[in-house]
Amino acid sequence: MKIKHFVEKVEGETELEFDFKNGIVNNVNIVFPFYRGIEEILRDRDALDALVITPRVCGICNHAHLLASARAIENGLQNAGVNINLTPKAISLREFTLYCEIIQSHFKWFYLIAMPQLANLNKLEISDNHILKASWANINTVKALAIFAGQWPHSSYIVPGGVTCDPTYEEIIQAEALIDDIIKFTQNEFLGLSIDEYYKTKEISSIKGDMGIILSMLKNQNMQEKGKSYDRFLTLGEHSAFTTGIYNQSLYSDANITYVKEHVQSGSKAKSVSYDNQFCEVGPLARAMLRKNNFILDIHNKYQDSALTRVCARMDELINLLIYTKDLLANLNVKELSCTLSKLPKDLEANGTGIVEAARGSLIHQSTIKSGKIQNYSIITPTQWNLSNGLEQSYGIATKAMRGSINTQEANFIFRTFDVCSVCTTH
Amino acid sequence: MSKLSKPTLLWLQSITCNGNTHSFFSHPDFVALMQKFEIIHHPILNTKYTLEDVVKGNLACDVLVLEGAFKKNGMKKMNKEIYTVAKNYAKKAKHIITAGSCATFGGMFRQYDTQSIGGFCFDDEVPNEIYKLFKKKLISIPGCPAHPRWIGSVLSMILTHRQIPLDELNRPLEIYGYNAHVGCSRSEYYEWKIDASKYGHKEGCLFYEHGCQAPFTHANCNKILWNEVSSKTRVGTPCFGCTEPTFPKKNLWHTTTLMGMPANMPIGIPKRAYLTIAGIAKSFTIKRLNEPIIKYKK
Amino acid sequence: MSQDGKRVQKKESIIKVALTLFSVYGFHKTTIPNIAKRLGMSSGNLYNYFPSKEILAQEIIKYTSEVLGAEIRKINQQKKLSTDKKIHKIVEVYFKMAVEKPEMIEYFLRVYLSHREVFVGECQRMVCVASFITEIMIFFSDGVESGDLRDQDFFSAFGLFMGYLGGMAFLNGEAMLPHSLKEYTDDISQNIYNALKT
Repeated sequence: MKIKHFVEKVEGETELEFDFKNGIVNNVNIVFPFYRGIEEILRDRDALDALVITPRVCGICNHAHLLASARAIENGLQNAGVNINLTPKAISLREFTLYCEIIQSHFKWFYLIAMPQLANLNKLEISDNHILKASWANINTVKALAIFAGQWPHSSYIVPGGVTCDPTYEEIIQAEALIDDIIKFTQNEFLGLSIDEYYKTKEISSIKGDMGIILSMLKNQNMQEKGKSYDRFLTLGEHSAFTTGIYNQSLYSDANITYVKEHVQSGSKAKSVSYDNQFCEVGPLARAMLRKNNFILDIHNKYQDSALTRVCARMDELINLLIYTKDLLANLNVKELSCTLSKLPKDLEANGTGIVEAARGSLIHQSTIKSGKIQNYSIITPTQWNLSNGLEQSYGIATKAMRGSINTQEANFIFRTFDVCSVCTTH
Repeated sequence: MSKLSKPTLLWLQSITCNGNTHSFFSHPDFVALMQKFEIIHHPILNTKYTLEDVVKGNLACDVLVLEGAFKKNGMKKMNKEIYTVAKNYAKKAKHIITAGSCATFGGMFRQYDTQSIGGFCFDDEVPNEIYKLFKKKLISIPGCPAHPRWIGSVLSMILTHRQIPLDELNRPLEIYGYNAHVGCSRSEYYEWKIDASKYGHKEGCLFYEHGCQAPFTHANCNKILWNEVSSKTRVGTPCFGCTEPTFPKKNLWHTTTLMGMPANMPIGIPKRAYLTIAGIAKSFTIKRLNEPIIKYKK
Repeated sequence: MSQDGKRVQKKESIIKVALTLFSVYGFHKTTIPNIAKRLGMSSGNLYNYFPSKEILAQEIIKYTSEVLGAEIRKINQQKKLSTDKKIHKIVEVYFKMAVEKPEMIEYFLRVYLSHREVFVGECQRMVCVASFITEIMIFFSDGVESGDLRDQDFFSAFGLFMGYLGGMAFLNGEAMLPHSLKEYTDDISQNIYNALKT
């Protein structure tokens, strides 16, 4: 039996075509219907135009695209023999603003997707408070980001060699105050625990607040048993808060970009992506596994790569990043240079790859620059890793996770645990 | 306001990055504002109706907010051309807001196929065949993305029946009557023609070499600031003219020059007037403006 | 004529006489008493118009720049004229001035360029020659915009154009040219255009 289901809200739209066998989901065809041609738009443009064009791939993770495009140019310059020495200040600012974007995205996921959808699955009535909370957390997080990046969405403050801003301590203090407020909100509303208590607890059952409600709704739906995929994880982007590598059924190894391959999928405008011809999950759970985060390793030990584990990893990442952003700000030295490169050579010839961890996982930009102009540009987004359909005999990551679901509603929720971003997928 | 009298609002997306949705979601009064409407459909909020209900075309719609560029054929949702759906609701609506440069002029996504992709009522700055039909109720809010307050204020003005003076591209003059340079924290450097030679400094103007389009871009971002705290130019990034029908131009980080002089003049300033002032200003070396604003001890 | 009108007229006549004396005798050898004597007025009265020799010298360069600027402005305003024709007209105007009012060009070369210490403060860099420079900027800017001239730094184009004309005027002033300056107009215009065109 085939059933079509339309996924909407928050980040664009997707069609799921379910194939049921014996009352359970046997296969799912994921269709992303529209291609917007960003890679074509970039062709023949000045190399630096990518810093303005690529953020427009996505309204929710535009900042990750900006960083990836700057890194692609920097990598190209390095390959062409130009030294890139970013100052610690520039690195920390880039990290800070990227983590803020991840934090706002995760808050939106919990309050705008998980809350209402789980309530629906559990047939519970909830008030509109979750929207107010998402809005508050979002406003303050992006405000902290905008102090350095100028605006959110669609900043272009990262340039090859550093960043364009030159913040004062007075501005840094503003950002610190905002982060403190968000931490307070996280303790009082989101966790119902102090951060210290959170780090002491070994049990997710002691988590209260909105997250406590989300966790109990997940358990009610048996999500600790559902949504399992290949238990294979990949993190490619280099950041101070993350560790790169691949985890494949208990084995850790280094990751190498040359194993990444894109495949055309029939019927969908999105391409699938594999690593060494295998599908890998990317995103918060992958990052927690590769970082060997004890709290998540424990949960993973009990429930493997279930929907519950995936959600816990997103929660834990949000909290860890929030605390970490404070360190980044505390250690910023305003006396250092913001940008160490001056103009790019007019006739720049460069091939480079920029890899970044976005909210949903590893994001890759590859650019070929000839005579200062973009000759070819290729973008692989996190959702392409998690939400592709699969190849011949092997199911895609999300499809594998949805198999065995008893109805479309449940399968749809499992699909959403990967945090769908339709616009990114069909750039 | 009683529940019955709330106007209905339908937010419909076409070819977009959702940037305007997320931008507007960062409005400090987003929730309070949205509560003043009966939301028929919205890309983030949970609504009574699904997109499937929307595309059938029978729902109420007092205020239609459009996001994203349009394509007459080939941009379908639930097997319905979204352009046709938008047109149907536009006929019904009392107010049409095109939120962002894509919905207004075609913007970023028009660049992929300028033959068939455009704004709802304009292709770049040229009114299209349905402009006449809708011009009386059309409010353009270009920007990539539109500033949250632009959308919020226009919705509030509609609710409170306030006059909204518009320019020839249907943009509210209270917002677009300014240029993005107004309020720039680097304006002294602009006045005295001191260029920011490298990125990453508080000092210097980005107009002469780095492509800043603020003096000829209609927008009040530097007056009201982004996310209440900053703007592109305040963090040393040039303005890319994202509210203009010409967005995105090419060579965004380089000033287009004519024999070394900026090719684009500030709005309404004759070239002779500009060059006279510029030549004289450039003749003086102002010591204070050639030094760092703040000196930290090593 | 009003009092103000008379004063302006008097100032202009002082400038014209001083311009000739400066261009012939140089900046240092020309004194306020010399100028006053030539005008048939007392030095004290002259000081009522110009408080110092330096300020008078600055006013003169402003005056010559305005005269030349006004001529080029007329050319710039002929929007239909092609860039090569405009170049021809500018060269014509410049050479005509070098022949008919040699003191203006001489003043520029012998006083303005040779006594930079006089042209400081409120007359530094381009301030006193703004009327002329602005018109040259507009000429170049229009030329690039129309697609006729190659975009480059303003001064690399300006130096080529004005350095060339100034050099020819200098040679002419020193009586070193075998032909009249006017006879060089066509070739020089062509050379300038060839050097600057796209």
